[in-house]
Amino acid sequence: MKKLILGAIVMIGTMYARDVALVNNKLYANECGSCHMAYQPGLMIENSWKKIMGNLSNHFQVDASLNKKDRMTLTAYLVKNSSDKSSAYLSRVITKYTNPNRAPLRITQGQVFGSYHAEVGNRYFKRKSVGSASNCAACHTTANRGLYNEDYVRIPR
Amino acid sequence: MTKKIVLFLLPLGVFASSFNSAMQSYINDLKVQAKSHNTNFVDFSAKRGEQIFTSKHIGKRGKSISCSSCHSLNLRNKGKNIHTSKVIEPMSPSINPKRLSDVKNVKKWLRRNFNDVYTKQGTALQKGDVLYFINSK
Repeated sequence: MKKLILGAIVMIGTMYARDVALVNNKLYANECGSCHMAYQPGLMIENSWKKIMGNLSNHFQVDASLNKKDRMTLTAYLVKNSSDKSSAYLSRVITKYTNPNRAPLRITQGQVFGSYHAEVGNRYFKRKSVGSASNCAACHTTANRGLYNEDYVRIPR
Repeated sequence: MTKKIVLFLLPLGVFASSFNSAMQSYINDLKVQAKSHNTNFVDFSAKRGEQIFTSKHIGKRGKSISCSSCHSLNLRNKGKNIHTSKVIEPMSPSINPKRLSDVKNVKKWLRRNFNDVYTKQGTALQKGDVLYFINSK
């Protein structure tokens, strides 16, 4: 009986194992999450986050500038929780397949993103209900829970 | 009786259009600046603010946009970020009391959004006008 319960716990644990660690910083969730999904820091390597945080006044041609204190705090948070520091499954894959000297500026430019989405046609990303590839939660219904497994994918009409 | 009701409702009407004390002091700073730029300056105008908010300009991305492109023309409605598709809560403080309540936040968004829509910083007059417009909705 004990084994059965233990087995059940392990099974449920595996089912709910997060692909990336959850966002656990209120400033990050508020600041970065006001314009787009607060992407989990474990979705990119440290060097990518450093590049992004170094040019917030021209953040993909949008002014996302912060005061110096908030910028420093958030950079430290992102670096500390970047994929290179995480043991979560997807973070480890991203770290493994990203060249730190050619760190992408966008999650969607990463090699890992590319290979996982190779079978998804551009027309799906361009759908009005999706907008662009950066809108994870449009299809990944559990994105904010750090679950990117394809079992939870529902591409909207 | 009618008079009593009117007297009772009057303060509510005032509340709906007044700023909290921190915001009022920011508005006062903007007034001082506006006055220093133009000695004929009297007060900000929601009507001018509406023009600033709804008129289109070639923005930072080289495309014609206005504040309304993301915030919608009716400030009591939700808006949608045209780049990321993320929903933006209503701007109207009477619908969404968080709006125009935090000076730090207001300054940040004025800085960013004037840059994105007008490709330059707003003047004190423009900022005050826009804040009056939003507050009137």
